Amino acid sequence: METPDALTPTDQALLERIAKGDRRALGIFATRHQGSVLRYARSLCRSEEQAEDALQQTFVDVLRGAASWSGRGPVRTWLLTLTRNAVYRGARRRSGEPAHFVPLQELGELAGWGADPETLAGGSLDRDRLRSALAGLSGASREVLVLRELEGLSGPETATLLGLSLAATKSRLHRARLELAAALRPEEVTDGP
Amino acid sequence: MAHDREVAGIRCTDVLAGLSEYLDGELPADQVSRVEAHLARCDWCERFGGQMAGVVRALREQLVRAPEVPGDVERRLLERLAEEPQ
Repeated sequence: METPDALTPTDQALLERIAKGDRRALGIFATRHQGSVLRYARSLCRSEEQAEDALQQTFVDVLRGAASWSGRGPVRTWLLTLTRNAVYRGARRRSGEPAHFVPLQELGELAGWGADPETLAGGSLDRDRLRSALAGLSGASREVLVLRELEGLSGPETATLLGLSLAATKSRLHRARLELAAALRPEEVTDGP
Repeated sequence: MAHDREVAGIRCTDVLAGLSEYLDGELPADQVSRVEAHLARCDWCERFGGQMAGVVRALREQLVRAPEVPGDVERRLLERLAEEPQ
């Protein structure tokens, strides 16, 4: 369905045109979503080169898959699923994940739970500081924060994309937020367990 | 351990465990009232919860806009798509 302004076709309308071979529609679609796709790819990849490969492969897969897109569910969830698949096809297996499971209470303490107020994350939480903290998190944490907080996917959409239960997705998000809060604490704080 | 006590019928560790769901408005109503009663009387949890809410809010506000894609990256993307067979 087109919006009232024919100059800004909906994603669904673009996909219908792409399915019929309209390369101009593909260009509009790619330009519209490239920022989100690249950001998500960067959260999964270890290098800019891998992220760019995934960016390109995502939209190649849009071209190939537009005709079979079911139309059910948000386009962005489908698109980011293609990105995730492209990353894993390229890398097969993400490395750098934490090798051990940190108990929630320990994560909370690292984030400042029960600590002196002046040692909590605070001060100027500006863009550069947040971006740096996000980049330093484990891949799984970075991924769920990008999907939920930045791309605005719902809990169920994120769970579907990650292939997790809703409960597991919520748990991952909670732990990721704690990791982020820990990363944003003042540098001189070393009172973790 | 940093601290863990029972206030308003719920322990600090349980508040910690449910904090994200509380901040997201996804905690069942009966648990919300217990958490809020706890937060009203537990400075530690109230302070930590406020900090977590601030971090989440800042993340959403500061980074929600996707970064600009570098011009050369966009150019290579569009070139690749133009070359791709249907």
